Amino acid sequence: MPLTGIRLTWFAIALVATTLTILVLSLLIGSAGVDYEMIRSLRAPRVAAAAGVGALLALSGLAMQALLRNPLADPYVLGTSGGAAVGALLALMFGVAMAFGAAAGALAAGALLVLLARRALAASDDASPRLILTGAMLAAVFGALATLLLTLTPEQRLRGAIFWLVGDLSGADHAGASLAAALVFSLVLMVRHRAIDRLLLGSEAAHLLGESVRRLRLELLVGASLAAGLAVASAGAIGFVGLVVPHALRLAGVQRTRDLAWLTPFGGAALLMAADLLSRSVASPIELPVGAVMALVGAPVFVVFLARGTR
Amino acid sequence: MKPSLLETRALTLAAAGITLVGSLDWGAAVGERWCVIGRNAAGKSTLLRALAGIGEPGLQPAGEVRWLGRPTADWPAADAASVRAFLPQHASDRFPITVQRLLEISRVRPQHEARALLAALDALALADRNVLELSGGERQRVALAQCAVQGAPLLLLDEPVAFQDPAHQLQVAQWLTTLHQHAVVMSAHDVNWIARAATHVLALLPDGACEQGSVGEMLDADRLQRVYGCAWRAIDGDGGRYWVAQ
Repeated sequence: MPLTGIRLTWFAIALVATTLTILVLSLLIGSAGVDYEMIRSLRAPRVAAAAGVGALLALSGLAMQALLRNPLADPYVLGTSGGAAVGALLALMFGVAMAFGAAAGALAAGALLVLLARRALAASDDASPRLILTGAMLAAVFGALATLLLTLTPEQRLRGAIFWLVGDLSGADHAGASLAAALVFSLVLMVRHRAIDRLLLGSEAAHLLGESVRRLRLELLVGASLAAGLAVASAGAIGFVGLVVPHALRLAGVQRTRDLAWLTPFGGAALLMAADLLSRSVASPIELPVGAVMALVGAPVFVVFLARGTR
Repeated sequence: MKPSLLETRALTLAAAGITLVGSLDWGAAVGERWCVIGRNAAGKSTLLRALAGIGEPGLQPAGEVRWLGRPTADWPAADAASVRAFLPQHASDRFPITVQRLLEISRVRPQHEARALLAALDALALADRNVLELSGGERQRVALAQCAVQGAPLLLLDEPVAFQDPAHQLQVAQWLTTLHQHAVVMSAHDVNWIARAATHVLALLPDGACEQGSVGEMLDADRLQRVYGCAWRAIDGDGGRYWVAQ
């Protein structure tokens, strides 16, 4: 059953309340206990980064799903995050701003995917297993490139392989930028909600209804890539947030882009904060990389969706 | 004189070196319901898509399709949406959406009430259902409602009853006869259904030639044989004339 009216309102209240609860727990729980100074200087920036990155990744997934008309699309699975990681590494090696490199890498990877999938996209139908496989191969190539770059330049200023390949929130920064970007992207998606809902019916259907499909797809591509790029610059290549969050919301009955556009960032923030809390408390004082925790949750979810025949 | 809603000037459609439609001069006016007939792969879908202003890979169209006297290529997408609606053979749904919501976002020019359309197509009970869960026939009736709710006067319907059971084929035919403010161009294979639902027939012959006329003059044994390549016999019953392929 679709969620509308009062039931949607209650669902939204519950989601926001859950997000806030996880936020408070994340601030209070940690190896040093409840210490104000500790919370302010160390935990708060990290929790904020988790929230911002989670929101950006979830929105990026939502936009990519509309762009490619595929509910399994996710910036990590389809190589956009990998492209951002390679871009960021190259930027660091050549002394360019890392965030710029990450954004450029993500845009390049996203554009490459759309280019490779253009025939499937143009024919308003159904080559989606091929699309996902193409993306998975792009992800493999970028993963290999990142590994090579890390091996060839064993410099201190490059962060470790874990950060670039699965993502890690320890020492994450750019929290303010991530949160602000997530807010802007969410608003853009809300403004374009009707056109996006029509695109979900099919590119040909959207065109027949008078939408400028090319322009909308370009907007979604740029938005999704920049969001993924910024998330990678902050916390490395964390996967599956963009897949799990919009899917869970759709399963709960949220179908309209207008609602998804603002509920998705809350869901993403809640999920990544929770994953981060888990990754630093399970084996405390050892911190597990949050990306590994997300992949342990996300990959099985992906397989289940695939097996259920989402096509 | 008011330009007709749909017309073609020397429209030629060829794919893979084969001429599907050769130099067609033709038109459809409000109140007319044209049915395109022809063998499999004769180019019915290709023609309907060309009339809807949608290209196809590997297709080289020549000549012109005009809506209200203006070539389709000159219409901005947003304006085109209020002139023509197109029903493809298959819906390709990927995301959950209710029928009601589907009709809401498919409305371009408010003209028809969504629930009245669903009722006329025996689909009112489906209003709150998810499109992913509908049967082929149900989805097709919903797609017909979706097409009509767009509010365009020109309806281009590719096999609107391909998945309908006999009772629903009748119902769709009856609904089509109530569309006095529209011009309808559709494709179908059941000659007896066509006799009931259409006012005119456009026949695509294997050599790319086209023949056009009112349904009464177009449905005869000789012509049907030329179109389909099999013999036909007319049986006169109490409800009218029925056609049987031999």
